Amino acid sequence: MTKKGALVIGGGVAGIQAALDLADSHFQVYLVERSSTLGGRMAQIDKTFPTMDCAI
Amino acid sequence: MLDAGRHPNIELLTYSEVVRVEGEKGNFTVTIRKNSRFVDEKSCVGCGDCAKVCPVIVPNLFDLGMGARKAIYSPFPQAAPRTYVIDRDACLNKTILVCENCARACKPKCIDFDMPPEEKEFKVGAIVVATGFDEYDPRGWTNYGYARYENVLTGLEFERILNASGPSGGHLVRPADMKTPKTISFVQCVGSRSVGERGYPYCSYFCCMNTIKNSLLAKVHEPDIEKIYIFYNDIRAFGKGYEELYLRAKEDKDVIFYKGKPAKIEEDPKTKDLWIYIENTDTKVVEKIRSDIVILSSAGVPAEGTAKLARILGIELDQSGFFKQKDPTSFLESAKEGIYLCGSAAGLKDITDSVALGSAAALKVSEHLKGQRVKREEEKVIPIQTDGRPRIGVFVCHCGINIAGVVNVAEVEEYAKSLPGVAYVSRELFTCSDGTQRFMQEKIKEEKLNRVVVAACTPRTHEPIFQETCRRAGLNPYLFEMANIRDQCSWVHAAEPEAATHKAKDLLRMAVARAYHLEPLETRQVPMDSKILIIGGGIAGISAALDLAIKGEKVTLIEKSDQLGGRVKELGRLLNSELNGKELIKRKLDELKKRKVKIITKAKVKEVKGFVGNFEVTIEKPPSEKGKKPKKEVLKVGSIILAIGSDLYLPKDKFGYGKFPHVLTNMELEKLLAKESKELKIAGKKPKEVAFIQCVGSREKEGNQYCSRYCCQVAIKQAIELAKQGIHVTVFYRDIRTFDKGAEEAYREARGLGVVFLKYEEDVPPEVLGKDKATTITLSQPLSKTEFELPVDAVILSVGMVPKEEDFAELQNLLKIPRGLDGFFLERHSKLGPVETNTSGIFICGCAHSPKGIADSIFSAQGAAGKACILTSKDHIDLEPLVCQVVDQELCRACGICVKLCEFNAPQLVGRGDGVLVCEINEALCKGCGTCAAYCPTGAIGARHFTDEQIDVMVDSLLVWDK
Repeated sequence: MTKKGALVIGGGVAGIQAALDLADSHFQVYLVERSSTLGGRMAQIDKTFPTMDCAI
Repeated sequence: MLDAGRHPNIELLTYSEVVRVEGEKGNFTVTIRKNSRFVDEKSCVGCGDCAKVCPVIVPNLFDLGMGARKAIYSPFPQAAPRTYVIDRDACLNKTILVCENCARACKPKCIDFDMPPEEKEFKVGAIVVATGFDEYDPRGWTNYGYARYENVLTGLEFERILNASGPSGGHLVRPADMKTPKTISFVQCVGSRSVGERGYPYCSYFCCMNTIKNSLLAKVHEPDIEKIYIFYNDIRAFGKGYEELYLRAKEDKDVIFYKGKPAKIEEDPKTKDLWIYIENTDTKVVEKIRSDIVILSSAGVPAEGTAKLARILGIELDQSGFFKQKDPTSFLESAKEGIYLCGSAAGLKDITDSVALGSAAALKVSEHLKGQRVKREEEKVIPIQTDGRPRIGVFVCHCGINIAGVVNVAEVEEYAKSLPGVAYVSRELFTCSDGTQRFMQEKIKEEKLNRVVVAACTPRTHEPIFQETCRRAGLNPYLFEMANIRDQCSWVHAAEPEAATHKAKDLLRMAVARAYHLEPLETRQVPMDSKILIIGGGIAGISAALDLAIKGEKVTLIEKSDQLGGRVKELGRLLNSELNGKELIKRKLDELKKRKVKIITKAKVKEVKGFVGNFEVTIEKPPSEKGKKPKKEVLKVGSIILAIGSDLYLPKDKFGYGKFPHVLTNMELEKLLAKESKELKIAGKKPKEVAFIQCVGSREKEGNQYCSRYCCQVAIKQAIELAKQGIHVTVFYRDIRTFDKGAEEAYREARGLGVVFLKYEEDVPPEVLGKDKATTITLSQPLSKTEFELPVDAVILSVGMVPKEEDFAELQNLLKIPRGLDGFFLERHSKLGPVETNTSGIFICGCAHSPKGIADSIFSAQGAAGKACILTSKDHIDLEPLVCQVVDQELCRACGICVKLCEFNAPQLVGRGDGVLVCEINEALCKGCGTCAAYCPTGAIGARHFTDEQIDVMVDSLLVWDK
């Protein structure tokens, strides 16, 4: 029997974090994103404060 | 982003949506429709050949329509997955024309114009909703001319202009004439904190800091900018480190913070410059300010499709259209069990809080996935032989214009070819993009590279990504080296491109020299104890303990005082909630009692030994009888969550505190309110006129610079309660920071109830006067040259939060985790690691990290608990091999310097058997800082991965500059 997974709706920074943490805990994750790529709003912005790291 | 794209346990369903959800917690059946990309995801390599030949050019919505793309496209260079997609609305091939240029150009033959959408069913135990937000369209603010005036932009549009992959390639220009603006104006709260048709009542949480960041960033992009105006209502810099960033912007004389909201914006039709009309609130004169570009900080609004998704999920929306939480003290829970809200799904959040909420949601979800773990065989890769002659591959990164705008990367690429050991060189627009990662992987195999050097940005964020790529190619990840030609070249020497290029070559030469001498290292495995220790039994500690216990984890909760509940148990009714603090704590404790959680009160941590997975914590309890010794207990745990909370600032001798009996702190008032909810009496009498003074012990020039985050919202809650009892309230404030869901609405309610808000400047605070009791507050407003005098019966000081020095110092010392300038414990990364520390296995949450309100403390605790659960899901963990080692025992003279120096107790002197003492380093304790290796007088100790030889060759190669 296949194991039950978790559904994460939205591939922005919050969804990615939830998905990664679940996947790192050895659960199967289905990450659904409406647009053609992950990243959400954070991928659109330039650097983040205060460390000015790039947002990607 | 890339990590999620390539995690073996994550099935990525992009270009997809949820169409149906059936079942309940633990057992949902979800139907997902995968819309047609018309490009096969499995075979597309993201080469972009198709887009090159596509004849159709349309606006790129990722750049909010400012840039252009083809009908077949990938929205931005670092997109993950890199798979292209055909916009069938724009594609010629849907009409009678037959184009198919892309299909002919595509070598792997991925394009299928007849690809149907697919529906697929999945069985899941729980659902996380992280649908984010959209940007408010400010066209309704007709007086600002958005969409009529070319140089009026929204905040997100401005982000795209600043972004290296944006429509102007990261050059700060204004749309009308592509000239670099000299004056930039930001207008805050467009669509936020607005009533009626002009937007939404709430505060959008992130825009103040976004504007401050962009004002600083704009000056980095263009040092010639003359003036930046920020028109604001209140600056809301409430997160950790935010006030400090605000102060940095304020120190810049070219950045002008102007309180007020422009009445209108007009365009000069000839020059396309903008005129901003605004009333100066001090002089009451309407001023006219010219600006080259105006950025409207537009509100965040519920994401498109939120209502539809809510119907599919069977959950409700709130008045503003966000998903509705079950309870205002918990951001995560929707009304339906098994469905959790994170990020901005239930109301706007910033990046830091979204990340913490993501981890918190993962914890809640895993409660419904008991026994559902998947074990996956690691993908087998053929290891690359590394013992032969080094064959170094060098990848030079443009980072859009971030590096290439200053450093001549083509020259750096050419130079790399001349360096000894370099077998392959390439230059990429974004080395970190999904496509380049795959390309690197192939090249490592193809060119038989056994060392890799990337000349790009900082190893702090990107080294793990490239190391993972090496690993996937079969190359030991420790044979990787980075040269940071962004921070150390293009950023700091932006004005001197030649010197920056020269330095980039220097850094690259050094990196290549080191790479030549790198050695493969193997990670070490240590067993993982699944027990978790939580230190601190306030709301954060209790919440973490409860959620972990529900999930079935073995938890020990220790508390210094004799009872759990911290400060919250003494609070009255909470903001926008029916509960009071006592009830909230009781509810959680009742639940906690039902589970097997070991609770130890009156316990103090005395000693901490060990490392992640294997901590030994000695706690001490006072003796049961006088004269007896204190009781000691050793707890063996795998991870530790620090939730020790904070203290309240003691306003000694400030504003008459301690001198007048009618001057109270907000906590003292809260206790009175919690006790006598019907009628407030201060010193036995019902007051008629009460004044609040905000920012006491917060946002100080000397002292606590930070904002304490909780106090504005608490003051408003208290003011409402007093006003409802017929007491007249005046609040002296600096900025009202009501950012949480429902808080701005409460602020409006308070004003409606007649509460008066008076702004004061830090330099001219109000004064509390009186003889034997406080009778008057005076406030002089030097700009308007007015003096304000208010008779009062009581004064409430809204005091900040401070770290409890004694406890913080002790635990810092025992756990070896650093504290920030503000005195609170320092997180791993301010955005991406808010609940982790630099020490693996130790997590922080609640006010131990920074001042927080109740709901914030709870989700940060759940986030920390979530992170701890990732560890407990493993039976062993891998430790980094980057540690110090005794390279030559014969050289050791057992002087013991290393033992004294090491903060982590890693080196010990041990008998060798023949009576000779020598040093031994416990690799599991060693953090690889190298202090001992640097001090060792005989050179017996070396630091792995940073050997003397590796450092020497870097220095040598720096000194030989052979143009």
